[in-house]
Amino acid sequence: MANKSDELKMYWNKINYAYPILNDTLFTDCSDAEYEEIQQIIVGLGVQIKIRDLILIHTEKYLRQHVAPSFWSKFLKTDEEVKGFQLFKSAVNDLYEAMSSFSPMITRLGILNNSCCDNKPIYGERDVMSGFKQLLRATLLSQLPLDFQVIINHFYKVSFNVFDNAEYDNSDMGEDVMCSGCWNEYSDCNCAYIVKVFHDTNRKLVELTLLERLTGQVLTNFIQQRIELHIQKLCTGTFDVSHIGFLENWLDTTVMSWLTRIYCAGASKPHKVDKDIQNAVSKFKQKLSYYLYHIYTKLRIDQLFNIIIVYPDSQPAVDDIKLCLDKTDLRATLCKKLQNALETRLLHPGVNTPDILTAYISAIRALRHLDPSGVILETVTKPVRNYLRNREDTVRSVVSSLTEEGAGSELAEELAKFAAETDEDLEKEEDWDNWVPDPKDADPKVNGNDRKANDIISMLVNVYGSKELFVNEYRTLLADRLLAQSVINTEKEIRYLELLKLRFGESQLHFCEVMLKDVSDSKRINSLIQQDKNFESLNNKFASNAMILSAQFWPPFKDESLELPEEIKQHFEAYTKSYEALKGNRTLSWKPHLGNVNIEIEIGDKKLDLTVSPFNATLIMHFQTKPEWTLEELHQIMKVPITILRRKITYWQSLGIISERSTDNFALVEGSDGNKSSCSTNQVQEMICEDEESESVMASAHDQREGELQVFWSYIVGMLTNLDSLPLERIHQMLKMFASQAPGTECSLQELRQFLDTKVRTHQLVLQAGMYKLPKT
Amino acid sequence: MKVTVKSWTGVATWRWIANDDNCGICRMPFDSCCPDCKLPGDDCPLVWGACSHCFHIHCIVKWLHSQPQQQCPMCRQDWKFNNK
Repeated sequence: MANKSDELKMYWNKINYAYPILNDTLFTDCSDAEYEEIQQIIVGLGVQIKIRDLILIHTEKYLRQHVAPSFWSKFLKTDEEVKGFQLFKSAVNDLYEAMSSFSPMITRLGILNNSCCDNKPIYGERDVMSGFKQLLRATLLSQLPLDFQVIINHFYKVSFNVFDNAEYDNSDMGEDVMCSGCWNEYSDCNCAYIVKVFHDTNRKLVELTLLERLTGQVLTNFIQQRIELHIQKLCTGTFDVSHIGFLENWLDTTVMSWLTRIYCAGASKPHKVDKDIQNAVSKFKQKLSYYLYHIYTKLRIDQLFNIIIVYPDSQPAVDDIKLCLDKTDLRATLCKKLQNALETRLLHPGVNTPDILTAYISAIRALRHLDPSGVILETVTKPVRNYLRNREDTVRSVVSSLTEEGAGSELAEELAKFAAETDEDLEKEEDWDNWVPDPKDADPKVNGNDRKANDIISMLVNVYGSKELFVNEYRTLLADRLLAQSVINTEKEIRYLELLKLRFGESQLHFCEVMLKDVSDSKRINSLIQQDKNFESLNNKFASNAMILSAQFWPPFKDESLELPEEIKQHFEAYTKSYEALKGNRTLSWKPHLGNVNIEIEIGDKKLDLTVSPFNATLIMHFQTKPEWTLEELHQIMKVPITILRRKITYWQSLGIISERSTDNFALVEGSDGNKSSCSTNQVQEMICEDEESESVMASAHDQREGELQVFWSYIVGMLTNLDSLPLERIHQMLKMFASQAPGTECSLQELRQFLDTKVRTHQLVLQAGMYKLPKT
Repeated sequence: MKVTVKSWTGVATWRWIANDDNCGICRMPFDSCCPDCKLPGDDCPLVWGACSHCFHIHCIVKWLHSQPQQQCPMCRQDWKFNNK
């Protein structure tokens, strides 16, 4: 028995010799030949399964107690990148060494396992080696410390710097003393060392199949961070270059080659055989490029307002966004953010209407380009349209920019373009081959074609809803221009009129056509009348011309009274007589306050040549006959209200020709001091002068509307005589019932209130406790 | 001080010297044109009848063509153009 037990003890010692792990060490001198003998002993005893399981249990314990803690003990939380780099490197190195010291034992265990006939999988794997690796992974990850990512991050950061630098920033190298790769001086640049260590470490991790588990998350986070930084560095402030190509290239070359190197342990291309790595890398790439597009688009969306303002210079940026929108899911974000930006930066009282319009036009262009279906445009600019509708001077701004030439008149160009494009549009409609359905966020109630067909001008016109309002405003503007200019460029005006006709139709602009014809007819009539003998003698003194207008076709004029000097009246009478002779049965009624006068003023030795309004001319001519006037006297002779007189006399005051001696008493400034002040106030004069001229001679839209409401007045008087007193709402209702049959005579409650209030002010009505009454007479 | 007027451009509106404002046929103002015309004045003149009623020339010619008897639509007297 003792013999047997001794024998067993010897066997046990031999097994211990072959598998030192049973005593918690790894070192043994056991050679392959010796092991073969021991293997036979084990098989002879028939305990191979038991020994194997025992060894596995001990290995497990050893890994848990020694390998894993010593590995993780290196993962200190440190802020120094280089230290982190070194720590991670040594941790991986140690682990790798520990594992390689396991390898003889693993080989033996493999042989032992082959002799076991139970086919039991080892940790879920078929062969011992992969089972062991599985065990190692499990053990390591079970003890994962909290901050393990810190030094991994440092490690990759340092190495990425080297790569990014090597592939990219070659140009800066010469000037810098520091290597921008490793932040050391060039003399002891570490880059080569870092690259070597980096590849080495990665290879070991791959061999241990720990790479993805340990570093996957860190790598992804890290690369995403780098992408974000890179995009921000590259793309702020410049919109005139397309970045997406560069970025894709950067991702492809720098980032992806770096990643491939990590996965393939230094080789720049994966082995064709290794499908797993190829798969892993391409999956990684997909994720990263999505992320790249996402970040880039987000950045661009934040800048979209600025991009729009400088469009079409920023077209490359818009192209980029267009491309990226298809690849990301940011349409809704784009709409929301841009709308917010528009509202905060554009739609507040501090912005001029022309500026809003310019921005709106740019937005229309840019968003059209971005999304040809027009859905984004429609959604985003809705608040702009609503806001513009509330601004009083929108129509005027649009119309004036439509007809302005030179800088800032994009609309004028647009108008001309429209004329050229009308023919092509017809062909486009038949292009059903390239039909694309509306995007999913489109409003199903709106016809997609309408959205597309709307061009910039019709979008602007649609802000207000009706063409008529637009055409009316144009008419007023045209009238102002025709009357204000002494030399009228009829050709230019006719060209614009033709362009506008193409868009708004003949009938709408018929009035304007007559207006232009009046102007050219006036020229002809003038030259005919100048030849009239009766007129010639008068004309020796100065030339008098006239603009003869067809009153029915011009917008209503402001009513202003003005008594012209006798001399001028004579001229006009003579002119009227000649006209009557020329055109049978027709006569003229003069608008004395309209027109312009070219006068020359001599003060001392100085001559002033001025073009002024008839009012100002009359005023200064009165001062010629008598050097000192009171406002009251001027009022008597000129038949102009004193308030207007006082306002307008400032023109001559600013020229330094007339001064106010005492309140309401004006006198000529004679002599040299007048000249001086006229020089010094030259600039002021111009400003005031301009201010004066820019005032419209046409009745304002408000006045016109009041004229229209006048139709209701007789109804209202009738109502109030029968029913004594009525509240506003009742009057409105009754008017609706009886009086608003004709189109265009509808009036809102608000308008009616204003109208009645003006009547109250002129004492034609009395308002008592919310009831309107006729005053008792 | 001496003020010399070099030229004076005034503004006036023209009107027909007639005893009514609107054409009795088309109801448009005389100073405007008949519905068939675009331009007022020379292109769409007025004519006076012997009965002193006046119309747009196009209006009265159209009226006379559509009637069996040549009568003024206002007073039913025989229509004669008054060339004054």
